[in-house]
Amino acid sequence: MNPPLILIVEDEEALRRFLIPTLTGQGYQVLSATTATEGLAMARSHNPDLVLLDLGLPDLDGMAVLKELRSWSRKPVMILSARNQERDKVLALDHGADDYLAKPFGAGELLARIRVALRHTLHPDVTEPVVCSGGLRIDLERREVSLEGSQVKLTALEYRLLEALTRRQGKVATHSHLLAEVWGPGGEGNTHYLRIYMAMLRKKLEADPTRPRHFITEPNVGYRLNLEAPVD
Amino acid sequence: MESQERPVLVALGSEVRSLRLIQAGLRLSRERSSPWIAVHVETGSSRFTEDAEQVRVWLQEAQRLGADIRIVQAPTLAQGLTEVTRNTHAQILLLGRSQDRWPWARIGHATADELQRRGLDAHIEVMDDRSPATVQAAQGTGFGAMVGAMSVLGAASGVAWLLPGEGNIALVLPVYLAAVTFIAHHWGQRLSVLASVLGSLLYNFLLETPRFSSASGHWPNLLFFLAMLLAAQAVVGLLHRLRRQAREVHRREVHTASLYLLGRALGRSRSPEEVAATAAEHIRMVFKAEASLLLALPTGWRTFPPSAHAIGLPPPAELLGRLDAGEHPGDPLEPLILGNAYCLSLTGTDRSEGVLHVLPEESTGLPPDTWELLKAFAVQTALALERLRCLEEARKAQVESETERLRSTLLGAIGHDLRTPLAAIHGAAGSLLLPGYLADSARRDLLTMIQEESERLAHLLGNILDLTRLESGAIQVQKEWQPLEEVVGSALGRLEKRQGVLPVRVDLPEALPLVPLDAVLLEQVLVNLMTNAQRHAPGRDMTLRAWEEPGWVHLEVADRGPGIPVGYQDRIFDKFFRLPEAREGGVGLGLAICRAIVQAHGGRIHVEDRPGGGSSFRLALPLDGVPPELPEVAP
Repeated sequence: MNPPLILIVEDEEALRRFLIPTLTGQGYQVLSATTATEGLAMARSHNPDLVLLDLGLPDLDGMAVLKELRSWSRKPVMILSARNQERDKVLALDHGADDYLAKPFGAGELLARIRVALRHTLHPDVTEPVVCSGGLRIDLERREVSLEGSQVKLTALEYRLLEALTRRQGKVATHSHLLAEVWGPGGEGNTHYLRIYMAMLRKKLEADPTRPRHFITEPNVGYRLNLEAPVD
Repeated sequence: MESQERPVLVALGSEVRSLRLIQAGLRLSRERSSPWIAVHVETGSSRFTEDAEQVRVWLQEAQRLGADIRIVQAPTLAQGLTEVTRNTHAQILLLGRSQDRWPWARIGHATADELQRRGLDAHIEVMDDRSPATVQAAQGTGFGAMVGAMSVLGAASGVAWLLPGEGNIALVLPVYLAAVTFIAHHWGQRLSVLASVLGSLLYNFLLETPRFSSASGHWPNLLFFLAMLLAAQAVVGLLHRLRRQAREVHRREVHTASLYLLGRALGRSRSPEEVAATAAEHIRMVFKAEASLLLALPTGWRTFPPSAHAIGLPPPAELLGRLDAGEHPGDPLEPLILGNAYCLSLTGTDRSEGVLHVLPEESTGLPPDTWELLKAFAVQTALALERLRCLEEARKAQVESETERLRSTLLGAIGHDLRTPLAAIHGAAGSLLLPGYLADSARRDLLTMIQEESERLAHLLGNILDLTRLESGAIQVQKEWQPLEEVVGSALGRLEKRQGVLPVRVDLPEALPLVPLDAVLLEQVLVNLMTNAQRHAPGRDMTLRAWEEPGWVHLEVADRGPGIPVGYQDRIFDKFFRLPEAREGGVGLGLAICRAIVQAHGGRIHVEDRPGGGSSFRLALPLDGVPPELPEVAP
């Protein structure tokens, strides 16, 4: 199997000079574009396995590029954004972006996120039935959750929330995404419900709820289930 | 000696007329482009305090207009002036006539004559001024007055003729006294003296028996009669003077009162518009005239209050030029008369603030005795405008210096704190690129340094950007009701991802309510506070506590560091403020950002000493608005 192909759409030369050798060094094939138009053309002609998309492009809004890509491709798109742009991040995630990275980011973080995103696409229909991390074990098939070997009782809503997070494990899930998935249509406005249930999940599943290792908060965006040593 | 260098000498006394002398002196010195000197001779007769005060005012005025001033002591005016004239080699000596001169002094001038006799080199000029009162009295001796006076005298003689007693002096005298008094009152002294003489002759000729003869036996009666009539007109003269004095006193009282009222009203004015409105209102009340101010504002000339009668006036700059070059150069207060209107320069202590334009309602104009008051009004208004201008200038200067201070602090911070990590990165990268062998551990150290320093740079830039955006309002607080635990967790997560596990003890009560806050911003506050605590007390335990009180939730980040010295507990929240003994790192923005964020939440932040050592940063967030409905929680 060929190594995955990654398309970088980024106008800043410094970032391209950092991204291209980092990714090729890890064995990925890399293409790069400096404008939205060029990026879209390359995406069509090469059908990359993953797109790293900068939101601030000179010719076209990154969001427009994302919508255009999503109109024909389900391949993961990772947004590169500046800090303090929570609104843009949420918008991009809700429009089908898979994840985002806030600048400045390190190589380690970048590669970890790419691995997570690629794993989801390479095995789109297979969610691991059992995930483990630290003392936490989630068995989606048998609907069982245990911490340090002892079974934890979850309410139905708590379990649905945990399940939604697990399906997107490693990737950020926005508030609205989780609300829609757990509470169904009409639940969008009740972000505080979500927060309270997250607090309860942490209380049951984290050793120290104020230092969560698994249920990571992305302020004003959503949550991310962080699992160490993912089962590959 | 060149005549240009020989000064013009002006002798000043305490009289009001001295102002004219000052103006004349200035004009002469300008015409001849020579210096001028104002001199006052103290002869011992002008020792009254009030006079001395007035002399001082005139001398100051002369000095303001560029004169040198001298005060000389001499037995007589002539001696003093001679001395000064000789000492200064004056080309012209300007004198006024003394007010209380004797009638014979009209023919000559005692002091001037004496100076002439002393053979001075200077040209001696005596300023003659005829006061308005004298002019009026002179007008009184017209033909009409003569006819009137003669008619009154005739009528009196007719009445006396009809009186019984054949010209009994006891009965006739009061009639003539009444007539002479009336004449003196209406047509002045000259006619009444004439009337007295004529009256006594008429009495002698017509009434004294035998009638129609001027018998020598009548002489004693005639003289008595004449003396009585002259005495009467003297009494009238005295009464006149008293009445004039009373009127003058009253006028001065009115002037003082109106000036006082104007001054108080102007003191309350907060803008040139208000000053103009106040001045116009008072001038309308006191002078019965429309007034407007033409003011020089930074945006150009404006007329206040906007009024129709000021339309069509020459531009204020031209008016000022004409005022300055006018009849009374150097006295910018002297009005310029344009048609029915008067223009006065609004001159404060140093420069003209604009022009006062006054249009009296009466077509006869303003009586000359109110001009002084109008000038005083102009000065008061000018001083009020000047006060406002100075206040504004001081305020601007303060803002500018404050901005300048901030800018230089920012530049200093950027200069140092941004360059240091840049230099390290640049240097490390250069070393890595050098050809030749570099041990793996050394390479690692350099690379680690590059990473750490670039993080420091990013942090610094982030802080500067955050504060700028917070202050400019570009960051909107998006409050959402949420558990504090979540934001504490994300703040700790962000810190520990960078620095590993921190010795922070977190104490959040179970029953803490949801708090309306912006998670991103509050996370920043907690990160900043804990970073500071970590920096000042590395490795020592730190606590993060929260508690509720009605309407508020309190958060505390407490450390065991050196604490904040007394006197700095407020200032540490200022932008770019660093404690004097602060070590490297930090630009003094972290706490300023905390304060900006907490205040944007409607909350408060302060620091206090922590019992047992260290400092305790406390913030209070309001629980405002309606808390959301909570879901039913199944056990």
